[in-house]
Amino acid sequence: MIELESKNIKSVLIIGIHGALAKITAEILIKKNPEIKIHGVDSRTIDNVPNHHQLTSQQMKYTRTNFEKIFREHHFDTILHLGRLGHSPTSGNINNRIDINLVGTNTILELAQKFHCKKVVILSSHHVYGALPDNSMFLKEDAPLRGSFKYAELRDVVEMDQMCTNWMWKNQNTIETVVLRPCNIIGPQIKNSITQYLNTPYAPLPIDYNPMFQFVHEFDMANIIIESAYKLKNGVYNVAGDDVISLHEAASIIGVSKVKVPIIAVEQLAKILTPLWKFPHYLIDYLKFPSTLDNEELKKNLGTDIFRFNSKEALELLKLN
Amino acid sequence: MFKKFNEIKDLLEMRYGNNRDPWGLDPKRVISDLKALYPFYHYYFDVRLHGRELLQDKPYMVISNHTGQIPIDGLLICTAFATDIDRPIFLRPLVERFLNSLPFLGKWSNESGAVLGDRLNCLNLLKRGESVLVFPEGVKGIAKNSRDYYKLQRFTRGFLRMAIAADVEILPVAVVGAEEFFPYVIHLKKLATLLKIPAFPISMNLFPLPSPVDIYIGEPYKLPRELSADALDQELEPHLIELEKIIQELTDAGLARKRSILQRLKP
Repeated sequence: MIELESKNIKSVLIIGIHGALAKITAEILIKKNPEIKIHGVDSRTIDNVPNHHQLTSQQMKYTRTNFEKIFREHHFDTILHLGRLGHSPTSGNINNRIDINLVGTNTILELAQKFHCKKVVILSSHHVYGALPDNSMFLKEDAPLRGSFKYAELRDVVEMDQMCTNWMWKNQNTIETVVLRPCNIIGPQIKNSITQYLNTPYAPLPIDYNPMFQFVHEFDMANIIIESAYKLKNGVYNVAGDDVISLHEAASIIGVSKVKVPIIAVEQLAKILTPLWKFPHYLIDYLKFPSTLDNEELKKNLGTDIFRFNSKEALELLKLN
Repeated sequence: MFKKFNEIKDLLEMRYGNNRDPWGLDPKRVISDLKALYPFYHYYFDVRLHGRELLQDKPYMVISNHTGQIPIDGLLICTAFATDIDRPIFLRPLVERFLNSLPFLGKWSNESGAVLGDRLNCLNLLKRGESVLVFPEGVKGIAKNSRDYYKLQRFTRGFLRMAIAADVEILPVAVVGAEEFFPYVIHLKKLATLLKIPAFPISMNLFPLPSPVDIYIGEPYKLPRELSADALDQELEPHLIELEKIIQELTDAGLARKRSILQRLKP
């Protein structure tokens, strides 16, 4: 087995640099290691990239030719794939999403190996497990991925995760791959669906369901991505703190007024208000049933003090914003 | 009784604080439910708990026969353990998967302490020092026609494996009197399958009759230390049979002393 020296990270490719999490990760990486070189790419228009001489960025189409070019030019030793496209109704059509999430990821993995990268960290999601009424609390990494059972729109998220894990085991002797499945990432800079839902005044809140949630602060998440690059071995890791909080408690901490209605009304409102209320339909199941993660594997490898903020504190910080 | 509820409230706060536990138990909901259930427990069903002296202050896997068509027996056992013993035990009943999918009912049951009945949940609860309530007969136990009342159905083995894995004692419990809540019942099994629900009972009465209930606690059952959670079914079988026998004996003894509804109606 090849001895991988991931402690000497010198050149990093960050995919999805337009995203807030990628920017925070880049900032922390630079602070941790001022000698580092980071190249960020995104298919979206990139703005507000932190101004550091160590960080360069470029907007590009996720084609094999474009990726090959940057791999040749930059000699990356580490790839942080944070560029999975989300499922908000504004995230473009399904073909574009599948192209980026599946075909793009496959290209990146192939090139990472071809150009002798040492480590690939892939940001997946807890959505791969699905929110189902018979979900156990604290799903372990080996729980079945049932996210796309009901919602075809989650198919590419599940397939991307599976593709990466298959690839990881197949190539475990030549390259280290870490797949992270985080719970809900929230923070003042993150603009994902759950953050927007919590912050939207008068968004419907189900009166007849109150599932348990886990939240990880964007700063903690960025830190864990970096720690994964440095310390984690091949594997799939859930990312969540120890505490859980109910949806109603979370909404009450944020303090934004919500309209309490039965879930059936939430489902109908989501359909009617789709152009105005950017809430993916599959997320409605996450307002009904829990999809909470076991963090034993992560804590075993990164220590018990890896989280600076618990769910409640992460929500308080979001509220302050 | 108000003093008792204040003590229970303090204990709940001591154990769970003011927050929900990961499975959704809400201490405020538990206390309000206990207050609402207690008049039914004490006056309507006239529940009597026997064998409380056998209990110690430690987590148990409580197993019971399942009777009464709707899981009132579970509510009564939980109320008995929370209100009728010196050091209250807040049992976590493991419930059918389909309950969680129901609006309002799933939310209420989780907030009251019920947990989806699967192995991972059971194991995690026991490891956290919670006592769980299991009906090893499953739906078969509750969905019986009148002629099968008090006939114990075969136990499933999962609970034994969980008790071994978590190293807890099994506490056998028998409920006598609950089958008479609905004296005449037939089950429409095909309709239940069609509607994708665990059972579809048709009863003469819609509201449970005030049958007096006796809850008998048996001696805690210790499983041998050398028994592994991954033991073969054949290795678990003697313990399964023994536990079935204990509960059937507790039930039979209870039936011999059973109080009837008519006795209660006498002035």
